Amino acid sequence: MDFNYTPEENAFRMDLRKWLADALPKGWGETVFEPEEEEARYLFRRDWDRKLASGGWTGINWPVEYGGRGATLVERAIFAEEMARARAPESLNIIGQNLAGPTILHFGTEAQKKRFLPKIISSEEIWAQGFSEPNAGSDLASVRTRAERKGDKFIVNGQKIWTSFAQYSQWCFALVRTDPDAPKHKGISFLLIDMNSPGVSIRPLRQISGESEFNETFFDDVEVPAENLVGDLNDGWRIAMTTLAYERGPEDCLARQIRFKRELDSLIDVAGAMPMDDGVVSDDPGVQEDLGRAIVEIDAMRLVALRSFSRFLNGEERGPDASIIKLYWSHAAQRMNEKAIDILGAPGLLTGEDPEAVARGSFGMSYLQSKAFTIYSGSSEIQRNIIGERLLGLPR
Amino acid sequence: MNFAFNEEQRSLGETVGQLLSDFPALTAPDLSREQDDDAWNALAELGLFSLLVPEENDGVGLSLVDVALSVEALGAGLASPLVASTLIATELVKRFGTDAQKDALFGPLATGELKVAIAYTERGKGTDPEKLACAISGGCLSGTKIAVAGADAADRLLVVARNNDQASLAFVETGAAGVTVRQQDDLDPSAALCEVAFDGVEIAADALLGGGASDAPVNALLDLAATVYSGLTIGIANRMLETTVEYAKTREQFGKAIGSFQSIKHRCADMAVLVEAGRATSYFAFWNCAEDSAERAQTASAAKAYCADIARDACNEAIQIHGGMGFTWEMALHRYLRRAKVLESAFGNPAWHYRRVHAEAVAGREADATACRDAA
Ligand SMILES: Cc1cc2nc3c(=O)[nH]c(=O)nc-3n(C[C@H](O)[C@H](O)[C@H](O)COP(=O)(O)OP(=O)(O)OC[C@H]3O[C@@H](n4cnc5c(N)ncnc54)[C@H](O)[C@@H]3O)c2cc1C
Repeated sequence: MDFNYTPEENAFRMDLRKWLADALPKGWGETVFEPEEEEARYLFRRDWDRKLASGGWTGINWPVEYGGRGATLVERAIFAEEMARARAPESLNIIGQNLAGPTILHFGTEAQKKRFLPKIISSEEIWAQGFSEPNAGSDLASVRTRAERKGDKFIVNGQKIWTSFAQYSQWCFALVRTDPDAPKHKGISFLLIDMNSPGVSIRPLRQISGESEFNETFFDDVEVPAENLVGDLNDGWRIAMTTLAYERGPEDCLARQIRFKRELDSLIDVAGAMPMDDGVVSDDPGVQEDLGRAIVEIDAMRLVALRSFSRFLNGEERGPDASIIKLYWSHAAQRMNEKAIDILGAPGLLTGEDPEAVARGSFGMSYLQSKAFTIYSGSSEIQRNIIGERLLGLPR
Repeated sequence: MNFAFNEEQRSLGETVGQLLSDFPALTAPDLSREQDDDAWNALAELGLFSLLVPEENDGVGLSLVDVALSVEALGAGLASPLVASTLIATELVKRFGTDAQKDALFGPLATGELKVAIAYTERGKGTDPEKLACAISGGCLSGTKIAVAGADAADRLLVVARNNDQASLAFVETGAAGVTVRQQDDLDPSAALCEVAFDGVEIAADALLGGGASDAPVNALLDLAATVYSGLTIGIANRMLETTVEYAKTREQFGKAIGSFQSIKHRCADMAVLVEAGRATSYFAFWNCAEDSAERAQTASAAKAYCADIARDACNEAIQIHGGMGFTWEMALHRYLRRAKVLESAFGNPAWHYRRVHAEAVAGREADATACRDAA
C-alpha cells in the first residue's frame, strides 16, 4: 500500500493542474458558473469536453493509436483528483467516453476502433445509450426492438426509453433483438446506430427536476450498415455486460465524485458563512457532525474506487464488485444532497429564480436530480441482487 | 499509488486470525477471560509485539500498514483490547520515546512481557485532551480515569494527563504507590474496563513520553488509537457479515434458504457494501498514520467514526437475520455486539470524530485557499 506518487506521476499532475488553471474561465466556480438554461448548459459542457480534448485530456487511458495518451489507472485517479480540485465542469459525452469507448475498445473491429474512438475522444460525436425500453428496464434482456438482416444492412424497428442526451447525440449504441426465437439472453445483438439516420425520432421526457435530459427514441425502418454490429450476431448480452461493468465501475465513480465533492465543499463553505443566531449555521454541533459524516462518505467513494483500481492493477478482472461501487456512491450522494437541504433550512429550498437563493438554488436542483442515482445504471435492488448472489453466493 | 496489501501483510493477518481461532473462549458465549493469557502468549510467540519495534532496537521494524490486517483479525477474533493498546504504546515509544525510554521499554514490549493499558477517559469529560482533569503537579499525578480496558491485567498504564498546562503522556506502573485499579462491571466484561484512581502518584521526569516537551504524543495517541480501533471494529463488522451470510445460506423457512428472500439478501448486500467502504476508510487511515501525513488526523477520525457506525449496524443486522437464534446466549453474537459498543465509545465516539473531520476539512480548505492565493 502506498499513496506516494512517482516523479512522472507528479509531473503528470502538475501538467494537468497548470493546463486546468489556464483553460477554465477566470473566476470559475466563484463568480462564473455553468449557464442556468438547460440546453445552454449542455452545450457549455460539450464545449468543455472539446476543450479538454484539445489539451489531450479526454480518453486519457485509451491507447495512443486511437487518440488517447495511454495513461495508467494511477494517472486516471490523479486526473479525477485534479479535476475535483479545480471544481471542473461536468462532461456531456459521458456515455461516449465511459461506455461506448471502452466497449468498442474491447469488442470492436479495428475498423470500428479507427472510425469511432477518435471522435469520441474529441467529442465531435456525442453518444447515447439505447438499452432500456418501456417493457425492458431492470429486466433488460427482454428488449424487443427488432433488427432484421437485409443484405448488408440491419433494419431496426422499435422503441427505446430514458435515452439520456439523445437530443445532443450523433450516435447511439443499442441492444436489439436479432433472434426472436432464441432464449431471451441469446437473441440480442449490440448495434451502433447513427442518430441522423432516416426513421430515428426522439421525444424529450420531462424529469422531476423539470429538465429533459432523457427521451423516448423511436426507430422506424432505420437502416444500419451491417458493419456497425459490435461482436458476433446474437452475442450482444455478453457485450452489454461489459458496458455495464464500465457504467458501474470505478472510473465512473471517480468522475462523479468530482461533482459530489464540489457540491459538498460548497455546502461546507455556505454553512460556514450563512448567519444563524449569533454565529453561522455550522457552529451547530449537529451540523458539524452531519457534515463530517458526509465528508467521510464522499471520500470513501473515491477510496472504494481506488481499491478497485488496485485490484485491476494486480491482475483481477472487472466483476460484480462494480455493483458495490455503484450502490455505494449512489446512496452516499443522495444522502449528502438531502443533508444539504436539511442543513440550509428554508433558504436551501429557494430556487435559482429567487433573489435570496443560496448558491443559485443549486442544492435544491441537485437534491431533485439525485433521485435518479439509485435508479439508472441498474437500480439499487438489482445491484443488491447481484452482490447477494454473485459476490456473497446467496441462493436465488 | 497502490491501495492493496502485499502477500506478507495478508498472510500475517491470516496467521493472526488462525491463531486466535485456537482459543475458542475468546468468542464463546460466556464472557470469560480464561484464555486471554494463552492467546497473549501465543501472539507473543508469533512475534506480534516485536513487529513495530525498530530494527535498531532488535525488532522487526514494520509499519502500521504492515499490521493493519492483523489488527482487523484481532478485532474479528475479540482479542483482549490490551493487545491493541500495547501495539499503540509501542508505536508511540517508537515515535516519541527518548533513547532511555526506548532502551528500557522496547525489550520487554517486543517479547510481550509488558502489557500496556491506555488511560484516557474521565467521568464528566469529553474527548478533548486539553479539558481532561487528571494532572501532574509537583511531580505527582492525581485524578481518576474510567473505562481503561485491561488495566487490571496490565503492567503499565499510559496515562493522558495535564502537565504544565499541556496534555502529555505518562507511563505509570500499575503497582505503583497511589494507584488503585478496580474492574468495573460493564457491558463487555471480557474487555475488562477498569476505573483507575491516581492519588499523588510520583511521576519521575523520565516517565513522561518524549520528556513531556510538547503535546504531539497525545495528538498522535488520539490518531493512532482511532486508526487501530477502526481496524478492530471493521474486523467485527466483517465477521458479522460472514456469519450472517453463512446462516442465510443454511437456515431454511418456507422450504427455502432465508438468503433467497430479497429482504434478507439485500440487507446482506448492504452490509457487504459498508464493510468495503469501511475497510477503504480504515486502510487509508493506517497509511496516513504510518506516513504521518498532513491528513493523519482527518483520516483517523473518519475511520474511527465510520467503522464504529458500520460495526454497530452489522451487529444489529446479524442479530435480526439470525432471528430467535440471534438473541440466544449460545449463538454468541452478543459478544460482538458488546465489544463493538465498548470500542465505539473509546477514544471519542462517532459524533466527536465526525465533528473533528469537519473541523480538519475546514482547516484544510483554508490552507489550500491560502496556498492558491500565495501561488497566484
Ligand atoms: C435519469 C435517468 C437516465 C437514464 N438514462 C438511460 C439511458 O441513457 N439509456 C438507457 O438505456 N436507460 C437509461 N435509464 C433507464 C434506467 O436504466 C432504468 O430506469 C432502470 O434500469 C430501471 O428500469 P425501469 O425504469 O424499467 O424500472 P423497473 O425495472 O420497472 O423497476 C421498478 C422498480 O422495481 C424494482 N425491481 C425490478 N426488478 C426487480 C427485481 N428483480 N428485484 C427487486 N426489485 C426489482 C426496481 O429496482 C425498481 O425499484 C435512465 C434512467 C434514469 C432515471
